[in-house]
Amino acid sequence: KNTWFLYVYIFIATASLPLLCLPTCWLLRAQYPLLGTIRNVVLEFIPDNRIVTTLPTTCFALEAVIGEHDYQHNRVNQWTNLVLEQCLSQLTKLWKPFKYIVTCIILQKNGAGLQTASSCFWDNTSDGSCVERWENKSMYCIVTVFGVAI
Amino acid sequence: MEEYNSGDEVVFNADDVNISVKECIEGVIGGTDYNQSKVNQWTAGIVEHSLTHLVKQGRPFKYIVNCTIMQKSGAGLHTANSCYWDTATDGSCTVRWENRTMYCVVGVFAVAL
Repeated sequence: KNTWFLYVYIFIATASLPLLCLPTCWLLRAQYPLLGTIRNVVLEFIPDNRIVTTLPTTCFALEAVIGEHDYQHNRVNQWTNLVLEQCLSQLTKLWKPFKYIVTCIILQKNGAGLQTASSCFWDNTSDGSCVERWENKSMYCIVTVFGVAI
Repeated sequence: MEEYNSGDEVVFNADDVNISVKECIEGVIGGTDYNQSKVNQWTAGIVEHSLTHLVKQGRPFKYIVNCTIMQKSGAGLHTANSCYWDTATDGSCTVRWENRTMYCVVGVFAVAL
């Protein structure tokens, strides 16, 4: 019975997080005008706790790092590193019992075809992943986050 | 729960994985040209075969296999990954492969149980 109360408490505490994220989105919207067009990333963890966290993390990271830039070969290395660093630091700040793997792909827009796929051998009840796609007029960016429960 | 090989060290062996993933890639797309209608099948085939191979080894790991195929047309492509895990027991391996018409990048991540 105590465990049940604990689960309800965690659910209520974390369900309010998305509401806190929304005003932050609006504040940053003035600074990053394209933010409104980017979907939020939703990560679902541990189904029986039903912790659903809306994470505008990747949106902020992408917009802040590469928002208005055109594809530049000599800077793309720096950009991917910054995006990864920011995503991972925001994920670790959640203090969830997870190991994280974040991958970032930046592709120049010139008509080339690109296909990505991933397959995972893990515990379906506790582990999960999500993908965020973003683009501007000269490049595509795909960020994938995998979370593996400890 | 399946039984794992007893007595094996819980350390990710990147060299073996490199070789087996290269063989999987060759088996699926070796000798073919980039084909928009088939690329979906290819990526799925590569990740599936690689994962099956890895699981058959019976090591106590969770695996994530990621495959990217890009047509060669002069576009710039940059992939990177970052991991927050136990560096003593977990590991990753990236395999790059190309032919005349496409690039293929496969990333394998192993997280110890």
